[in-house]
Amino acid sequence: MATQAKHDWADDEELEEPTTTTTTTTELPPPQKIQNKDGTWTIIEYRLNDLGQKVKATRRIRYVVRREVVNPRVAERKTWAKFGDSANDGPGPAHDTTTVGENIIFRPSVNWRREAKDEANDPNAQAMKDKLKDKKVKCRICNGEHFTARCPYKDTMAPIGEAAAGGDVAAGMGDDMAAAAAASVGAAGAGKKGSYVPPAMRSGAGGAQGERMGGKYGERDDLATLRVTNVSEMAEEQELRDMFERFGRVTRVFLAKDRDTGMAKGFAFISFADRDDAVKACDKMDGFGFRHLILRVEFAKKAT
Amino acid sequence: MRPILLAGHERALTQIKYNPDGDLIFSVSKDQQICVWFAHNGERLGTYRGHQGAIWTIDVDPTSTILASGSADNTIRLWDIKTGKCLKAWDFPTAVKRVEFNEDGTQLLGVTEKRMGHLGTIVVLDVKIDVEAEQSDEKALTIVCDESKATVAGWSYLSKYIIAGHEDGSISQYDGKTGDLIYNIPIHELNQPITDLQWSQDRSYFITASKDKTAKLISAKDLEVLKNYPSDTPLNSATITPKKDFVILGGGQAAMDVTTTAARQGKFEARFYHKIFEDEIGRVRGHFGPLNTVAADPTGKGYASGGEDGYVRVHAFDKGYYDFMYEVERERQNRLAAAANA
Repeated sequence: MATQAKHDWADDEELEEPTTTTTTTTELPPPQKIQNKDGTWTIIEYRLNDLGQKVKATRRIRYVVRREVVNPRVAERKTWAKFGDSANDGPGPAHDTTTVGENIIFRPSVNWRREAKDEANDPNAQAMKDKLKDKKVKCRICNGEHFTARCPYKDTMAPIGEAAAGGDVAAGMGDDMAAAAAASVGAAGAGKKGSYVPPAMRSGAGGAQGERMGGKYGERDDLATLRVTNVSEMAEEQELRDMFERFGRVTRVFLAKDRDTGMAKGFAFISFADRDDAVKACDKMDGFGFRHLILRVEFAKKAT
Repeated sequence: MRPILLAGHERALTQIKYNPDGDLIFSVSKDQQICVWFAHNGERLGTYRGHQGAIWTIDVDPTSTILASGSADNTIRLWDIKTGKCLKAWDFPTAVKRVEFNEDGTQLLGVTEKRMGHLGTIVVLDVKIDVEAEQSDEKALTIVCDESKATVAGWSYLSKYIIAGHEDGSISQYDGKTGDLIYNIPIHELNQPITDLQWSQDRSYFITASKDKTAKLISAKDLEVLKNYPSDTPLNSATITPKKDFVILGGGQAAMDVTTTAARQGKFEARFYHKIFEDEIGRVRGHFGPLNTVAADPTGKGYASGGEDGYVRVHAFDKGYYDFMYEVERERQNRLAAAANA
């Protein structure tokens, strides 16, 4: 018993070898149930698999007690005995008939179609594929119908017209190159297609407007966004929305939440459609008592 | 949301029904089996055995005591919900495509198929909601559809009318007592069969789904088309959600064409439309085949869909669903709240 008490995963690895080779009758360690700091439980169970090997299963779960008041008719039906094909099933859902599916994100939205645009790009990719379908594979060394890397003369012959810096590859790029040359004289290195061009030199941008990181977030107007701190742990986005909507149209509410516990982390961002409303809200709501805490509201600083 | 998958059937689902309290789900499929499930966790309570053919339709009485089912073995059967016992079987010359109890559970209508020289009919049977009682053999009423056969039918508020959807895309209104035809109006495209008809909670209006790729909201009293929900795929089912003003449509390419298309193109998704504004507001993926039936939980907490793939998927809505409002709705709510405070 004493050894089992200070069992840890490293010891277990060692134990694995002898048990698999000897017999399957070895004692399985008792299941452990440990409460974690954040209110979740870790359950460690041991069992033998089909090959007689010991398997350790660690699950991390959180108990959520949800009380629901149902009407007496419904409560009575829950006590009914099972019948028909289910007559022999134990209490609770049977594994062969009931399973839980993968999580589906369903957020109703008016501009649902616009958000689904990403998927609409797929047909474009398909169109591209169709276009390329009747293009033939052509070897750059012998002009045969195979990839250059598969060419039997790969090691013995140089690609056709290598010296002339062209062949069919470069020929196809002719117009591109002319255009590129005209547009960006500065992009000296961009003469040969396929060579690396630093982001700052791409497409004649002059380096001024490189792609910003963060994709769609880059476009958000930070001017009318407030940062709210010292928010209660129990706060809900809807409450914040209600509070701030008094000052004008709120376009976005973001309340940071802990991934595991679902509790608020204590800060939130509120975006207004109009900056004047944001100024008003900042004035009025700074120092406002919400739940048991006093809110601190300030303009969000631009992320750098 | 994480849907619960119910795998109790081996063939395509044909209809799903919630009981009025929303705690039981009844599902029928072409595999001759009726299953009943608890809605909250997907536990199977039992199965009802006895039918000898594909089961097309099912309905539960308002007190959740008796179950009615219609099958391709040419019978309508009544079942004791609690024990799974068959209480009564009525024989018909052809398959039964639809059954529905009226609002107070005293009568049951059945739609029979047109086949082998028999015309399609709508029959009305008197039913006693009592497990012990002897059920009468006589039909209270028979309506013969001599023009185009009825595919679906239902009882309006107070059992005043019987509304039927036809194979030619028209909708008829019959008197609930005498069976006289009052109106027959072409509502969906000609010769595009109506595949489903489901009622609002007060049965004053209903939604129809059709193979012409639209669903329509229609009033029971004068068959006026209130709303129109166009989609891009033939529809098999449509339902109205309680609590929130949405409708859910289910459909997809017919089963025979499915193997030639990818899942994405097959459009096997439940589509949510706003009931009032008629906009599509979202879709829920999941099935590997067309959706044959969708049903909304009468408590407004979720919905279930049954597909050609043999699965029932039970969804419980999460917060985003309840929070969703149009800007105008939100403003109105704020205004009302402000007025209430003042």
